[in-house]
Amino acid sequence: MLEQLRLRTARFGLDVIMINVWENTDPREEAANFAAVWDIGATVLLDGTGEYAARLGITGVPTNVLVDEHGLVRAVGDTTPAELHAAVRELLGED
Amino acid sequence: MSAQGPACSVDLSHRVRGHCPVGKGPEAVVVDPDRRRAYVACSRSNAVVALDLDRAAPVWRAPVGREPIPVVLDRPTRRLFSADARSDTVTVLDADTGARLVRLPVGSYPAGLGHHSGLRRVYAGNTADGTVTAIDADRLEVIGTVPAELGAGSVAVDAGRGLGYCANFMAGSVTVFDAATLRPLRRIAVREGPCKVVSNPAVGHLYVASSLHGTVSRVSLDDGTVLDEVPVERAPVGMCVDAPGERLYVCNRGAGTVSVLDTAAGRETHRVTVGNAPGDCALDPVSDTLLVSNAGSGTLSFVHRPWLPGPVRPAVHPLVGRPLPHFALPDLRGGRIRTTREWAEKKYVINFFASW
Repeated sequence: MLEQLRLRTARFGLDVIMINVWENTDPREEAANFAAVWDIGATVLLDGTGEYAARLGITGVPTNVLVDEHGLVRAVGDTTPAELHAAVRELLGED
Repeated sequence: MSAQGPACSVDLSHRVRGHCPVGKGPEAVVVDPDRRRAYVACSRSNAVVALDLDRAAPVWRAPVGREPIPVVLDRPTRRLFSADARSDTVTVLDADTGARLVRLPVGSYPAGLGHHSGLRRVYAGNTADGTVTAIDADRLEVIGTVPAELGAGSVAVDAGRGLGYCANFMAGSVTVFDAATLRPLRRIAVREGPCKVVSNPAVGHLYVASSLHGTVSRVSLDDGTVLDEVPVERAPVGMCVDAPGERLYVCNRGAGTVSVLDTAAGRETHRVTVGNAPGDCALDPVSDTLLVSNAGSGTLSFVHRPWLPGPVRPAVHPLVGRPLPHFALPDLRGGRIRTTREWAEKKYVINFFASW
C-alpha cells in the first residue's frame, strides 16, 4: 500500500520513508528480505535500538507519521488505506 | 475512619501490574490456570518460555523450530504445540519440563494453530501453502490436510458444531471446514488482512480480526453470516474471549493497546495500554489477569481486572502539531547515515514497520 502511495504521490512532492523497528534479530537482513518480498522502492532506514521510535512515542507497527514542509507532524497513526489516503490528501491539499 | 473519606475504597480501574521480560518477539501466550503457568512463544528467540503465573518468573525455556508464532496447550496430555513458521514444523513439548517430544513437518510457513480437545486434534494453518494440517494430539501424527486459501493461519474451533475456521490473511477470507472429516464446507468473505479467529459458542459468535482494516467482524456460528464489524484500534492481530463469553480482548499491534469489546452489544468499551506491538493475549481467571505478549517490547504485560476502564490516552497523539524530532539513521541500502536535514522543506510520510 505504501509503495503504491509512493508511486502515485511522488509527482506531488510527497516522499515515503520507511523505518524498520523492533526487529530483535538481524534487522538489516530482515528488512532487506521484507523490502524484496514486497518490492519496496522507498527509502528504508534502520532504527535498530528502537530509540527513535521511543522518542516519538510510537507504540505499535505499522504506524504512519505525516510531516509537512515546515517539519511539523500533521498526523500519527492512519494505517488503513482509507485513513492514510484521507490524511495524505489533507497534507497535499495545503499548498 | 478518616475525616478525609472512607476507610476503604473500591478500585474501579484496571491496573497494569507489570511488564515481564520474556524473550525476543513474544507473539503468543497460553495460560494453564490450574498449574499456575503461562507459556509464551518467542518468535525471535526460537523458543517457548514457561512462566510461573504468580511470581511472573521464568520456569523453563525450550528451543523449538525457527520463528514459533502460536502456541497451544493440550490439557489432557499436558503437551504444548508451537508452529515454527520458518522451519515448516510443529514442535511438541512436555508442558511440565519443556522437554521436546517430537517435531512434525507440516505445510509451508505455519503461522496459526487451533485445538479440538474432544477430537484430540491440533490444526496448523500453513500461510504459504494455503492449507491446514491436522495433527492427532495423542499419537502425534499428521492425519490429513484441509485446502484453505493463501495466507492460511489462525484456526478456531467450534467443538459443539464440529467445525473449524481458518483465517486466510492474503485472501481476505475464512475457510470453514468439518473438524472431523477435514472437508472444506464454505468460504466466508471478510475484511482485509484477517489475522486471528476466535470462537465464542456461549453467544454463537466467531470473531475475525481484520488487521488491515482495523475492525473485528462478528460472524454467526450458526450459518456463517457476517453480522457486523466493530472498529478497534490500528492493526488488530490477536484476541481472546473470557469464559462466560461476555468480553473479547483484542490486541492492536499498530497501537500498543488492547481493545475490550462487549460481545453482546458489539462495541468497544475501553482500551488498555500495554507494551509495544502486542501480538496476542490470554486470560488467567484465577487472578483476574489478562496476559499480553508484546512482540515489540519482548515483554508480557499483566493487566489486573482488564474489564474495568482505566487511564485514557489522548485522542490526538502528543506529537501532532510539533516539530518532528531529528533523526540520523542508517540506510538499509548502503548503510549511509540519513538525517531529517535531507527532507527539509518536503512533505513526507514515515512508516514505522517490522518484518513480522
